[in-house]
Amino acid sequence: MSGRAVFVHDAEMEEYGFGSDHPFNPIRLRMTIELCESLGLLKESQFVSPKPATDEDLRTVHYSSYVRRVQMAGHGEGDLEELAKYGLGTQDNPIFPDIHRACAHVVGGTLWAARLVTNGEAEHAMCISGGLHHAMRGRASGFCIYNDAGVAIARLKEEHPGIKVAYVDTDVHHGDGVQWMFYDDPEVLTVSMHESGRHLFPGTGDVKENGQREGHGYSVNLPLQPFTQDDSFIKSFEAVVPEVLRAFGPDLILSQNGCDGHTLDPLAHLSATTRVYEHVPRRVHELAHELCGGRWVATGGGGYDIWRVVPRAWTALWAAVSHQEMPEEMPEDWLSKWSQDSPVDLPLFTRDDADDYPPIKRAAEIEERNRRTVEDLLAKVLPLIG
Amino acid sequence: MLLVRDWMAREVVTVEPETTAAEALALCRKHSIRHLPVLEGGRLIGLISDRNLRSATPALGDPSRAEALQRIRVGDEMIRDVTTARPEDPVEDVAAAMYERKIGCLPVIEGDSLVGIVTSSDVMKALARLVGVHEPGSRLEVALSDRPGSLAGIAEITRDAGVNIVSVLVAPGPDSAGQHIAVLRLATIDPGEIVAKLGEAGYSVLWPPETRLGEGRP
Repeated sequence: MSGRAVFVHDAEMEEYGFGSDHPFNPIRLRMTIELCESLGLLKESQFVSPKPATDEDLRTVHYSSYVRRVQMAGHGEGDLEELAKYGLGTQDNPIFPDIHRACAHVVGGTLWAARLVTNGEAEHAMCISGGLHHAMRGRASGFCIYNDAGVAIARLKEEHPGIKVAYVDTDVHHGDGVQWMFYDDPEVLTVSMHESGRHLFPGTGDVKENGQREGHGYSVNLPLQPFTQDDSFIKSFEAVVPEVLRAFGPDLILSQNGCDGHTLDPLAHLSATTRVYEHVPRRVHELAHELCGGRWVATGGGGYDIWRVVPRAWTALWAAVSHQEMPEEMPEDWLSKWSQDSPVDLPLFTRDDADDYPPIKRAAEIEERNRRTVEDLLAKVLPLIG
Repeated sequence: MLLVRDWMAREVVTVEPETTAAEALALCRKHSIRHLPVLEGGRLIGLISDRNLRSATPALGDPSRAEALQRIRVGDEMIRDVTTARPEDPVEDVAAAMYERKIGCLPVIEGDSLVGIVTSSDVMKALARLVGVHEPGSRLEVALSDRPGSLAGIAEITRDAGVNIVSVLVAPGPDSAGQHIAVLRLATIDPGEIVAKLGEAGYSVLWPPETRLGEGRP
């Protein structure tokens, strides 16, 4: 349990953002890093600077015509109507200067993290700016231009033929981009737990989406009811993730750790607290040790309550990645710095207080529906994996 | 988009009145189908299903079964009064015919010739396509009052927000009083601003619940 954990990051990766009035704001990365540092959890020696992804890296999963469009957009070239067909310059994915460069850096970070873990230089690695799971082969979607996990997995498969990667996505939105990239690949197991697509973007992620051809059974989707709380979230996670991962037998786990299932998140309707965001990485960590020699790469993802939720959720993630205990109290220097900019009161503790989030009236009904989804899912996929 | 010609199968396996029950059943098995149009001189004169044939022949294991399968001809057992569809018929008409007459399949006729066949699973596929998810988007459910421009108002608000509409369905609400419910899919991960604007314009938004807009953002 004591191998080296690295934090793959540099300032360039904080350039990936769409402006201060857009929900996807890289200031959340800064706040998280400073919180980790202030709590004494993150030291200079743990940082690793990645190289940006090359065009060739990107083309492992993205169409070259698309990569060219993103490059043009970043230089102010290209017809806006034409770019909109690629999802660029829309409300969700506004074009900003050097958009290609910024996103290639993020992809490079996740790719670098995956290589360090695969070749044994690090036991676990975290790339907090990664997790751009909606990006499609030829289209930007849901704040995601390039798909960092997709590129990292595709590259690992080239560099280590036969490697089996388990992708575990607990962002509140379905991990559609990664799922479709490996939908017929039995060497890549994608597991996504999310708020049901009937109620939330992108709309996919039904239990029935199981993969196709040789990959049939290797796409696993656990859609949860809106307003699902911690107990049911954790129960559902425990019923599905360990079982399917054990049946699959990965060589490496790549997790997408979006924290937008938190009850305060403005973009979605689950009702989780920091308990979920502490539980999930600790369990993924244990599973990595149980199943694949500890090889675990963790990325960030969605998370749009950037003041109260994201810094604490991803500090808990880093604590799990780096085998450390998270202190109880938020540090004063951090609070006094960020409370100046925050429009809301910042929490004083690193963990939410369960008493503040009692079960809602429909909790039993929601739990029952999630339980049935879990049952249905396991019956569908377990016989197919392995 | 929702016409029979877009959803029917064009490769149709057919039989003749003289085809034996054994041959017809073998065709059903081979092509995994349950209905065979019966043609005579190229014209549709009937329809036979695997069910018609099974009920006309002795059960599996009955010694007289093999002989009966060879003896019975499709023409003896087929339905002669066949409900058919035209390629330009709307899918919903076909769905209504299937439902009212409790049938699972309609041969599709153009002029005198058989041009296709449409089954209940084709109709289900069309329905799934209508309500399905083919592009990433967020679901929006809004109650519409019974006055002109109610739907247009929603479209204007989404346009002003710079967001594309992926699909729209409008259906009468559960209460009869002329109220309709519109279900839209919007090409955005963040419909919050649109929901707030709809609220300001007096619309009752049934989904998503209004989030704490602006709160928690810089």
